[in-house]
Amino acid sequence: MKAARVFQLTTLALLVVSAVQVGYWVFDQRSYTIEKVHAARAAYAEQAAAAQALLDAGVSAGRIQQMLPPIVVEGGHASLAPKVEEMLRTEERRRYNRYAWEGAFFMLALGACITVIGRALRAEARVLEEQDNFLALVSHQFKTPLASLQLSLETMALRTLSPEQARTLIDRMLADLARMEAMVTQILESARLERGRVDFKSEPLDLGAAVTRVIAHLEERARQERIAISCDIEPGLQVVSDPLALDVVVRNILENALSAVTPHGGGSIALSARAQNGEVELSVRDSGVGFRSGDGTRLFERFTRLHPGGGSTHYGTGLGLFIVQRLMHLAHGRVSAHSDGVGQGARFVLTWPAAAQGQRS
Amino acid sequence: MSATAPATRVLVVEDDPHLAAGVMENLRAEGYEVSAAGDAERALEWLRGQHCALIVLDVMLPGIDGLAMCRTLREQGNNTPVLFLTARGDPVDRVRGLEAGGDDYLAKPFHLQEFLLRVRAILRRWDWYRSASATAATAVLRFGGNEVDFRAFHARAWNGDAQELTEKEAMILKVLAEHAGEIVSREDLLERVWGYDVFPSTRTVDNFILRLRKRFEKDPANPRHFLTVWGVGYRFLTEGEP
Repeated sequence: MKAARVFQLTTLALLVVSAVQVGYWVFDQRSYTIEKVHAARAAYAEQAAAAQALLDAGVSAGRIQQMLPPIVVEGGHASLAPKVEEMLRTEERRRYNRYAWEGAFFMLALGACITVIGRALRAEARVLEEQDNFLALVSHQFKTPLASLQLSLETMALRTLSPEQARTLIDRMLADLARMEAMVTQILESARLERGRVDFKSEPLDLGAAVTRVIAHLEERARQERIAISCDIEPGLQVVSDPLALDVVVRNILENALSAVTPHGGGSIALSARAQNGEVELSVRDSGVGFRSGDGTRLFERFTRLHPGGGSTHYGTGLGLFIVQRLMHLAHGRVSAHSDGVGQGARFVLTWPAAAQGQRS
Repeated sequence: MSATAPATRVLVVEDDPHLAAGVMENLRAEGYEVSAAGDAERALEWLRGQHCALIVLDVMLPGIDGLAMCRTLREQGNNTPVLFLTARGDPVDRVRGLEAGGDDYLAKPFHLQEFLLRVRAILRRWDWYRSASATAATAVLRFGGNEVDFRAFHARAWNGDAQELTEKEAMILKVLAEHAGEIVSREDLLERVWGYDVFPSTRTVDNFILRLRKRFEKDPANPRHFLTVWGVGYRFLTEGEP
């Protein structure tokens, strides 16, 4: 990494020096041409003056023309032949044109190189900064449940608690542990996605079956939190994705919806799917806490938690929706989030390419 | 602070509900009254209408972060002491927190007893400051044409300039004024104003003295009131050095 950077910086410096050099070359050549043309004109003027002197001394015009070919004698007057003057002007123009084209070409080529390297350097700096931020965020994410665990344990050690108070602390600690475990899984998952190190299969999958599987997994939690999940997916809808990715995406979206509804002390989540224009769209609507309409894209950034906790014990790591977005991207699909505002519920829409008819399994 | 005195109110600004609950339960168990806010906006809103003796403030909050919130408070002239809680505990972050106007800084995960000790220490320092500025005689300090009102954190300099003091500047000045004519060591100043191991170096004290000289000395380069005693600390003279 470091050697590459030194190489890039050196190349950049060389390119800049070259650009300056080319600029100087063009300028120098132009000055040289001006000087040469000026000298040639002076020499011709001297010849014309000499011819005039010879003419005045009585030398014949024919003899003068023989001795000084660029000079013409007309009506007792010696002057530079028009074709020589024309030739000088043409040569001058030709040289200027050459410098302009060559200079511009080199400048353009160098400019392009400098831009490319400059961009690479900037991109690298951004990646490094993101990595730093990621590490800082990861450490923050872990230290918070750790601090909570430590605080709960030390509270138990320091104080005399009623059985109910002790129960509350134990539940809190268990939830903190679960949170850390989920975080480890999701951080590894997101790191793998970030580096593109995923073996992503693309095969036709039954959306209804995947959704049913995930709902069955979350049913118990939904019942405890008094959340009704309804599902309206016509049988046979097929999407193209990776089977694991499909499960992860649906689970994360549903868990997100559950966490959004829980603070309201109950509510509903409605899933529906339809096929249109070669795509399959799964809509997940919840009656939960919602979000400000401007936060629709921020939701999918890493470690964004718009409603941290909100009283729920199952709250996110800030990675779930980030993972959803990455996996949808890998599946050539997309995800979007909509809400009319805080307290107004939210709707997440997942869109996959539909499996072609012949692909149906 | 004792549990029998009228309860002291502490505002806990923490976005993690478990941690907030744990901190609040323990503060309540120590006899404090506790209010909570999940983010800086709500905390600032709460502080517009109410007072508390201490703010326990998480640095990494959603939206406005804790440092920005603390700076906003100080700009608004709110001098309520702040104890920062944060996942970042290296010296640079500590200094940043204290520069933002914080009084102390505790890295997560922290020990409960240390947390409670620091809360008590901050409140004790403020109790001292308030009681030391309680009477008409102690509330105002006059020296070299300057007039400092410790209760309002306000001063009028010798040239007529109005000066708003930060709480640290006021506290340092208070300690020096209480020991006018005596040598006060940098360590004593740190101990009295910040508490024990908050700052990585005593240089910070020097910076604050420089600021006080700039505010109150006619020629800050040749101070007559805030004198350096080389290798030891500082001596404050109300009359000015002859």
